[in-house]
Amino acid sequence: MVNVRLKVNGVAHEGRCEPRKLLVDFIREDLGLTGTHVGCEHGICGACTIMFNGEAARSCIMLAVQADGAELATVEGLMRDGKLHPLQEAFRDHHGLQCGFCTPGMLMTALDLLRTNPSPSEREIREGISAVLCRCTGYQGIVNAVRAAAPVLAAGR
Amino acid sequence: MKPPKFEYHAPTSLDEALAALGRYGGDAKVLAGGQSLMPLLNFRLARPAALVDLNRIASLAYIREHDGQVRLGAMTRQRTVEFSPVVAQRLPLLKEATRGVGHLPIRTRGTIGGSIAHADPSAEYPAVLAALDGEVVARGARGERVIRAGDLFQTYLTTSLAPDEILTEVRLPAMPAGAGYALEEFARRHGDFAIVGIAAVVVREGQRCKMARLATAGAGPVPVRLRAAEEILEREGLGDAAIEAAARKATELVDPDADIHASADYRRHLAGVLTKRALVRAMGVARG
Amino acid sequence: MSVNLPRLVGARVARREDPRLLTGQGSYVDDHRPPRMLYAAFLRSPHAHARIARIDVSPALALPGVAAVLVGEDIARAAKPVRAESKTPTVKTTSFPPLALGRVRHVGEAVAMVAAESRYLAEDAVERIVIEYEPLPVVRTTDEALDPARPVLHEDAGTNLLVAREFARGDVDAALAGAALVVRERFRFHRHTPVCMENRGCLADYATGSRTLTLRSSAQCPGLVRDVLTDLLGMPEHQVRVVATDVGGGFGAKASLYPEEIATCVMARRLGRPVKWIGDRREDLLSTTHAWDEIVEAELGVTRDGTIVGLRAQVTADIGAYSIYPWTAAIEPVQTISFLPGPYKVPTYRGRARGVATNKAPLGPYRGVGRPPAVFVIEGLMDRAARRLGIDPTEIRLRNFIRDEDFPYKSPSGIVWDRSSFTGSLLRAREALDYAAARAEQARARRAGRWLGIGVASYVELTGIGSAIPVSPGMPVSTGTEAATIRFDPAGKVTAVFGVASHGQGLETTLAQIVADEVGVPIDDVRVLHGDTEVSPYGTGTYASRSLVLAGGAAILAGRAVREKMLLIAGHLLEADPSDITVTDGRYAVRGMPDRSVAVRQIARAAYSGSRQLPKGLEPGLEATKFYDPYYGTASNATHLALVEVDRTTCEVKILRYVVVEDCGCMVNPLIVDGQVHGGVAQGIGAALLEEIVYDDHGQLLSGTLMDYVVPSACEVPAMEVHHLETPSPVTLGGFRGMGEGGTIGAPAAIANAIADALAPLGVEVAELPASPDRLFHLIRRAPRASR
Repeated sequence: MVNVRLKVNGVAHEGRCEPRKLLVDFIREDLGLTGTHVGCEHGICGACTIMFNGEAARSCIMLAVQADGAELATVEGLMRDGKLHPLQEAFRDHHGLQCGFCTPGMLMTALDLLRTNPSPSEREIREGISAVLCRCTGYQGIVNAVRAAAPVLAAGR
Repeated sequence: MKPPKFEYHAPTSLDEALAALGRYGGDAKVLAGGQSLMPLLNFRLARPAALVDLNRIASLAYIREHDGQVRLGAMTRQRTVEFSPVVAQRLPLLKEATRGVGHLPIRTRGTIGGSIAHADPSAEYPAVLAALDGEVVARGARGERVIRAGDLFQTYLTTSLAPDEILTEVRLPAMPAGAGYALEEFARRHGDFAIVGIAAVVVREGQRCKMARLATAGAGPVPVRLRAAEEILEREGLGDAAIEAAARKATELVDPDADIHASADYRRHLAGVLTKRALVRAMGVARG
Repeated sequence: MSVNLPRLVGARVARREDPRLLTGQGSYVDDHRPPRMLYAAFLRSPHAHARIARIDVSPALALPGVAAVLVGEDIARAAKPVRAESKTPTVKTTSFPPLALGRVRHVGEAVAMVAAESRYLAEDAVERIVIEYEPLPVVRTTDEALDPARPVLHEDAGTNLLVAREFARGDVDAALAGAALVVRERFRFHRHTPVCMENRGCLADYATGSRTLTLRSSAQCPGLVRDVLTDLLGMPEHQVRVVATDVGGGFGAKASLYPEEIATCVMARRLGRPVKWIGDRREDLLSTTHAWDEIVEAELGVTRDGTIVGLRAQVTADIGAYSIYPWTAAIEPVQTISFLPGPYKVPTYRGRARGVATNKAPLGPYRGVGRPPAVFVIEGLMDRAARRLGIDPTEIRLRNFIRDEDFPYKSPSGIVWDRSSFTGSLLRAREALDYAAARAEQARARRAGRWLGIGVASYVELTGIGSAIPVSPGMPVSTGTEAATIRFDPAGKVTAVFGVASHGQGLETTLAQIVADEVGVPIDDVRVLHGDTEVSPYGTGTYASRSLVLAGGAAILAGRAVREKMLLIAGHLLEADPSDITVTDGRYAVRGMPDRSVAVRQIARAAYSGSRQLPKGLEPGLEATKFYDPYYGTASNATHLALVEVDRTTCEVKILRYVVVEDCGCMVNPLIVDGQVHGGVAQGIGAALLEEIVYDDHGQLLSGTLMDYVVPSACEVPAMEVHHLETPSPVTLGGFRGMGEGGTIGAPAAIANAIADALAPLGVEVAELPASPDRLFHLIRRAPRASR
């Protein structure tokens, strides 16, 4: 068993688990944050994407113990004072989600994309979000949402 | 799909890591970025007795210039490589190749050393190592050695690294100023492993081709240097006819396998197509 | 009376589901962890076909933290055999044991089940089970399955031909014999799988005190599941609750009752503790039902001017190892022959379907069910005829469409098309693409040596089916009704409860729009509950493009009943005749006297305050439950137009433009309709170009990861141009037609036709999907005419 001390969405947490426990399972079970989803457990679908020390990473192919000392951000941390994050607003306005299962991973991935490329073209948006598989939306609503959110986020920074 | 049990070590120095590896007589695996190893663990296709996690060894991540070479610590994140000004200036082919490695979230964790040690012949980094005549440094119980690209890759997912050795550094000669370069990949889906990929470097001298380098991804069990195709260019220059001839030669030099994504024939055909595309694009970048 | 709130039906209303799903507050099965819960894992067969010689579970039981291990015999003792019955005599009923009994019939079939303190431990335990198999010869293809020398998978059936059915009209043999031109082709639509982003899962909890079973499941059809599950478990239906939680995609993959759900219920009942099984992606690709795996040999006879005289087809579906429950293996092949004639006047027809068992995963419903292959076939034949006759492919369709004056039109399989916009959708699609300009662009591209193609696919799908037609032909479970309960609380807010179960299509929003319009309240005052048999009036679930027609229709009926009562109460409160009351902005007022009004809130309060505030004889309360059966059903239709380029060097297909003109009758929420089209087309593109389930010669699944089964990412799907026609259904309440499946029905055909159009100068036809670059490379190399 190993100890894991980390910060998630600004809040300190501590847990204890087997070294083989996947980070996504630790987040969901030990921390009770079920917004991050398990889609494939081999690093392809992106549903499990979180921020790891400020950069998007797939939590299904990380071990919980590797997050000891790290700062994570999950989808639960995007809202501020009960208000949706501008990216979440944009997803809602542009029908960027249907079943919602890929959505947390899509949001975190899009955020990372916009931080590294604040003004992406449609092509760049599609390349950036191609990291996350969605079976419901055909991506059109998501692309529209990211395009709409980009200037809002750039202005806010 | 949960990993089987294993003992876990997170050393903070290379010596500690080597000692930990040594205790298991070959039944321990090194964990770098985890983007390749963790899926294997989750599928229980890999069942090591122990994992030696290198992610706490800060001294293994760096990018330095040394004597015309760029030396990258094995644990340097692909994301760091992607955004490194040194790489952009000295190894622009590596930067381009990095953008083809999966997706940004994969590159957040994936490392250059891990990718090369994993030796997937469809991956970008092994092809670049071969194209640039790179080498790696490995450290084991018996000390340190340097392994050239040509001696490193043995077959699918297999290098000449001994079970008790850790790849610590990747060394790539800085590309000549004004060199043309391109990595042309064909994949079913953006970010996937290449069905076939061709890494090309050309150095022009007026009409002549002073140097040509061509290496494959996805066209066999290891990245292949297409030396005979390179020689055509070095002999005949970089005109249309020479490029066509080099592309044709490429199809003769590769011996690809078939899988559910592509037949051997088609891969062979792609090798020619992509060699031509890579050379044309490299020409567009080249100065001199 | 009149209702003067701005109408919500037809408006692009933002979804009520979104706030919770966007913030990670969704409630999927795996998000639930009741106290004392155990985690399950399955041992799955590594063999495609084998006898089970010996199982020893004791090493697994010996692992600390393992609560129980079940095998086939344990399930057989606790539940009735799973046998998908059919009323059709030529559909053979076979058993589908939740855990293999004596024999395994496909790689990935569940053989044993472990319940343990964690999933990690459960998987460790699974590995310790000792099991000896005696491999049997593998039946790899439908040809092998029909070979009498090969093994029969189900002894009680005596044959691997489990489904046979025919539809016919007129003398098609004579018609084809006398036709000016007959085009024929052997089409191959390879095996696919839905890949919902949420893997299947369930959580069963048996409360020993109250003897009630609660099954939380990623199910599309909770009502249906409860019906059949209670029968299998021998439990009274009112003691069983099935709840579809938030579900991460269904597409038909989650419409069947699966072995794992049955086994999990048995395990939970045995242990008296909650048991949760969440499938992983490996299990999903191995054992979630596969789809569309058909060979269709078809012939189309036409006159000189391209008018259809006859259509003849033999459909052979590889239905895998088991007949899925309760739909039966007939669902896929029989739907193909039912709908093969498409939106055309087909005077003579014979469609024969066979469903053949092989050692692969069972075939089941996936968006479109039978129609993606059917449309691939008929639209492919139409294009071949057009090419041979030198007629434009859109022209040949216009000549053969069922026209306005032909409706209602009875198709050769007995389905009646009530009134659809086949011609209108094609004309609008041509206009949207600027067809003439696209053809000119193609001509220019051809001269420059580029392979550009335009493909068209028009289709019609039966939707919103009522009780006259079972969703799965021959299936004895009734799928023809849905119900709605609309209930005001004393504060004037509305709860609307349905038996359908949303899994991404936004029913909490669209049904709220309908309810709000009917009872005259703002949408924020309506809350929709669905997918929980404990609270829902009887219903089966969400599948077959039925929810808005059936549940929406029931909502209209219940809404009308509630509104009638509100008018009576308002009239009483305002001392006016109910027929003199108008409703504006949530207030009920006497016509012409806006000051004499009451708020909805006051009417609701009065309804629950006892008889004194109510008209004499009017029962207190303000709620209604209504059932709706559209009886026959209705139809949706669309035309897809694709402009593609086939790369001359890599043979990769790039989609340059994609136009859809669809007609789903009165749209409730255009935002959601667009989303359904986008998602369906994306899956159709995946089916046409990227996705294929591949088994090797030993029956091993080669496409066992998401690297090998390639679903499209945002880079493989183009921006789509979607246009809508709204031809209200003449037969459904609300004029809704139901939609959702069209994207996968039309896209494979449109793309295949576009590729063939691009390669027409070479004489290459596309008869096999997916049209991967490798396949096209070989087709082009063997082309009858050399490429310039």
